[in-house]
Amino acid sequence: MPPVVQAKNVSFAYTRMTVLESVSFAVEAGDYVGIIGPNGGGKTTLLKLILGLEKGTGEMELFGVPVRKFKDWQKIGYLAQKSPVSQTRFPLSVEEVVLMGLCFDAKHKEATAENLQAVRRALQQTHTLDLAGRIFSTLSVGQQQRVLLARALVSKPQLLILDEPSAAMDPGSREMFFNLLADLNRKHGVTILLITHDTGEVGKYISKFMYIDKEMVFFGDRQAFCHSQKVAEKLGPFAQHTIDHLHNHGHCPLGCHCSVEKPAGHKAAHGAEAKHD
Amino acid sequence: MISEFLSYGFVQRGLLAGSLAAVACALLGVFLVLKRLSLIGDGLSHVCLTGVAVGLLTQTSPLYMSVPVVLLASLGILKIMEKIKVYGDAAIGIVSAAGLALGIFITALAGGFNADLFGFLFGSILTVGRAEVFWCAVLLAALLLFLLFFYRDLIAASFDEAFARTRGVHVKRLNAALIVFTSLAVVLAFKVVGIFLISALIILPPVTALLLARTFKQVLWLAAALALVSVWSGVYLSFLFNIPSGATIILVNLVFLLIAFVVSRLGRGYKKEEAARAD
Repeated sequence: MPPVVQAKNVSFAYTRMTVLESVSFAVEAGDYVGIIGPNGGGKTTLLKLILGLEKGTGEMELFGVPVRKFKDWQKIGYLAQKSPVSQTRFPLSVEEVVLMGLCFDAKHKEATAENLQAVRRALQQTHTLDLAGRIFSTLSVGQQQRVLLARALVSKPQLLILDEPSAAMDPGSREMFFNLLADLNRKHGVTILLITHDTGEVGKYISKFMYIDKEMVFFGDRQAFCHSQKVAEKLGPFAQHTIDHLHNHGHCPLGCHCSVEKPAGHKAAHGAEAKHD
Repeated sequence: MISEFLSYGFVQRGLLAGSLAAVACALLGVFLVLKRLSLIGDGLSHVCLTGVAVGLLTQTSPLYMSVPVVLLASLGILKIMEKIKVYGDAAIGIVSAAGLALGIFITALAGGFNADLFGFLFGSILTVGRAEVFWCAVLLAALLLFLLFFYRDLIAASFDEAFARTRGVHVKRLNAALIVFTSLAVVLAFKVVGIFLISALIILPPVTALLLARTFKQVLWLAAALALVSVWSGVYLSFLFNIPSGATIILVNLVFLLIAFVVSRLGRGYKKEEAARAD
């Protein structure tokens, strides 16, 4: 069985600026990959390359098929960082927006009873069924993101690609959101690629970390990430900050059997030194 | 009075061509406004000046001369957006300025402005010929077929281009088709309201409809109806008071927009009151 996503020496550059250089990796079915790295490090560009929204050099494959030839889009759910119409008066109901998540072939184009049932199921999953009849553009940004997650889920995807999706959500919605992702990953085997800066909150669910900073700094399981000297040495304060977040409950949520002093107050929470076995 | 007004052949042709062109502009405008490309009408109308000037210089039909010029300009806008990576407004601005400058340059070579050019700048709906009526009908029929076949794809591409591409929608092809239709509508509409006011036909009915309608289909129907009513009432008022028809059509559209704005504000206030009472 081919990897769900495979990149071989993928590079991308604007006219005079290299954004990604020679990135290679393979994401297997059932992986929950947290993509982290500094702003401008190329994380969003990498997702766009995976989705075929940008064209780079090298080889990018989805389910063993080169992305430029890939047609099986119902296997993929995508949620961007920002809602596309947060300020615009766009005359579409929540139900119609979620319906867009079904592929645009003849079978799925129309609002048939079967399609509407799939829409309602996806809305139920993201706790937004009560918003079904509302005009999408009148919702708050957080509500819009939850509806767009339903749009990403409506086709029952095998791969979910999420670009910092929880930034505009309140804490309750965020918890629901990450629990839902964990559930989809563990119970239904959905492969997840998630860009996040909030490793503390989702670190316990993530099975693999990918650290991108114009190049692949690290790609491996969470235990290796937690112990990676390369990450700590190359990225200094940022890496320490990330690792500290993973330990901010006084024990390592990554299950790497390390011990850490219980942090006291903000300074400690961001500066507690992890002591690994 | 109205029956006398409608008995003239030139009025019938003007109303028919005006209605067909205005409905086409309004339908296209719904998608252009939502895609934040509504000023494309303004940019392309300025490019029309080049086509008109070439037509007047070479003593050929300004209308037919404008078609290739505006089509080239529209594809130029798409290429600038794609290659230079600028937003649509900047690309439209570049092409618009180039079209206007070239038009003025050619007009100067031809010996300056004359009465013919003024007719194109400010519109002369009552000089519309049979051929223009025919081409307006062909354009609207083709546009309706395009909307019918690609309705959901167009909505998806207008709402969220990136996501639509991940669903297999051919966004680039749809955008190109939309802009080609807009180019043709602009060329066919410039006799109705004039080069300076075409963009208003593309922007005002859709914006008014967006204030009042709740669903996408309602917006399309309402925008088309408003465009139709504005052309008929605008031409009639211009006949009645002997005022320029193009400007009157646009002023009628502005009145509709103001009414829609007041109605939508009142509606929102009423809904808030209802919600407060329910609480």
